[in-house]
Amino acid sequence: MSGVLALLRKDLLVLRRSPLLLGALVAYPLLIAALVGLVAAFASAKPRVAFVDRDGIPPTLELAGREYDVRGTIERVAEEVELVRLGAPEARRQLEAGRVVAVVTVPEGFVADLRGMTRSPTLLLETTRGGLAPRVTQQVQALVYALNRELQDAYVEANVASVELLREGGRIAFLGTEVEVLGLQGAARLLEGLPDEPEVLRLREFVRTADAALTQTDRALRVTANPIALERAPERGRTWALSAQVQAYGLALTTTFLALLLAAGALAAERDEGTLARLVRGTVGLGRVVAAKVALAAVVAVAVGLALALVFGVVAELGDVPGGQPWERLPLLALGLVLAGAAVGAIGTFLGAAAGDARTASLLAVLVVLPVVFVGLVPREVAPAAGWISDALPFAHAVRLFDAALYAAEPWRGVAAEAAWLAALALVFGLAARVASRRLLG
Amino acid sequence: MTGAPPLLVADGVARSFGGRRALAPLRLELRRGEVVGLAGPNGAGKSTLLALLAGALEPTEGQVVRGDGVRVGWVPQRPAHYGRLSAAENLRLFARLEGAPREDADALLRRFDLPEDTRPSAELSVGNRQRLNVALSLLTRPEVLLLDEPSAALDPGRRERLWELVRELGRSGGGVVFATQDLDELDRLADRVLVLRAGECVFEGPAAEWHERAAAFA
Repeated sequence: MSGVLALLRKDLLVLRRSPLLLGALVAYPLLIAALVGLVAAFASAKPRVAFVDRDGIPPTLELAGREYDVRGTIERVAEEVELVRLGAPEARRQLEAGRVVAVVTVPEGFVADLRGMTRSPTLLLETTRGGLAPRVTQQVQALVYALNRELQDAYVEANVASVELLREGGRIAFLGTEVEVLGLQGAARLLEGLPDEPEVLRLREFVRTADAALTQTDRALRVTANPIALERAPERGRTWALSAQVQAYGLALTTTFLALLLAAGALAAERDEGTLARLVRGTVGLGRVVAAKVALAAVVAVAVGLALALVFGVVAELGDVPGGQPWERLPLLALGLVLAGAAVGAIGTFLGAAAGDARTASLLAVLVVLPVVFVGLVPREVAPAAGWISDALPFAHAVRLFDAALYAAEPWRGVAAEAAWLAALALVFGLAARVASRRLLG
Repeated sequence: MTGAPPLLVADGVARSFGGRRALAPLRLELRRGEVVGLAGPNGAGKSTLLALLAGALEPTEGQVVRGDGVRVGWVPQRPAHYGRLSAAENLRLFARLEGAPREDADALLRRFDLPEDTRPSAELSVGNRQRLNVALSLLTRPEVLLLDEPSAALDPGRRERLWELVRELGRSGGGVVFATQDLDELDRLADRVLVLRAGECVFEGPAAEWHERAAAFA
């Protein structure tokens, strides 16, 4: 044990004397995480969609007796896409060239259908193949949904106005002529002036009932038009950048990069410097050398991981982020970092042993680390094989462990399961590294 | 001394790397007070034999048997120490790993005139690095010293001191096996010479005899 500790101390001293390497090892995964974040942000940016108006929608349109800005409404509700007005040939050319991801066409007769209300007006959607197509289709469906809601509101408003006219009376333009409508309330007033004969009494009762019923029309119409409405509450959650998921991924990504590269490089460097042969012929065997490199990865993972968690926490506290940072969970996180660092470090030592020299080991580790990370990002539902592979690698387990350790209401079960996985992986890869490291002495 | 058990025996040891045979089966006994020289061209198998004797390599055939409690020091051809640690840090680290007292490390630092500052050993001169390499092999106070072309990077004065160390170890009942390309060194130091060529032992006998043969070949 003292041999392992002495080698660990030596490796930490060497690392401290290589500030550029240490800085790069910490900065690199953070840079990758930031770039992945940017790509993710770009992926959620507004796609460019061509808008072809074959019907020549007028600036304003009278619908149900009201002035209505259909074109403006389309543009207003198209929040999720960037609508570009184009002629049909240009839209087709840009779709074929991939400069727009979809074309929404307003066909001839659209306005007439909208006015006539005898059949549903239709919008035509053409998209590119694959890639963003499902997302754009979804967004255009959302656009049509939002447009329908706006139109429904306009129609409901118009219908409600008609009902109000029917109840309260007033003037209405019909076929170019102003017509006076008596209304139920006017009729009630007239009936009050008539003698209380049975027919008059029945008419009074009918008018009162009809007026009372129509009073409810406003709400009834709105409810019928939108049986379920979605209302967005004011934003109360954490910012995306400080979410539990981002913290868990950030920690796992950094730990994986650091531990894999350090362990691979450190073991191979023992061979490069000729010290491995000197070590193994003395009291320190190959197993202890491998254990020292795994310990190095674990120690560095804990130190850097806790420093990152501290930074996240300080930002959360200073920014008054809802929920703050779960400081009391840091010991649990530290345990997770030790196990994740050890499991990844064991893979690193295996790579270092397989590579033979430090330069090849570092290159191999860089080549291996990205697939190790990304296979852990593929949802099991999308590709079951990716799920099985990521089960045999530490990244996904580390993410789940960090997430549970920091934010699960009942963390113990999740932490215990993932900790067991990581410990088992550390053992398996550590043994593989011990066997493979024999070739370093050749 | 001839009745005493050998310090080290290589009993039919051979070593292959992949499919390539680096050393054919060979027997070598190192007795107390004996200095054995290894000669031969580059790639003859001298370093492989020394690494096998040191326990840094495992033989693919045969075995290396050390006398009971015999400590072995090994000076590999290429200096083997941590380049980012100073000479003192290297000596103290290996002392700790070998279970030797720190005072021994500090004594070797002074004895080999190594710099006591914190300069990384990778920045030392070739000669200093080679002296550190030799000093590291002496941490366990070995009775057997295995030296792989140790004098190549040393100036004449340091070289002489190194050979004095070899003679001293021989006189005190220890044993030395050293590899060299220098026939004069073999003449001056070796009681017995093993000459290797392409992994095969082609000569074993007194240095003077080999010297005559070599002269005849020349």
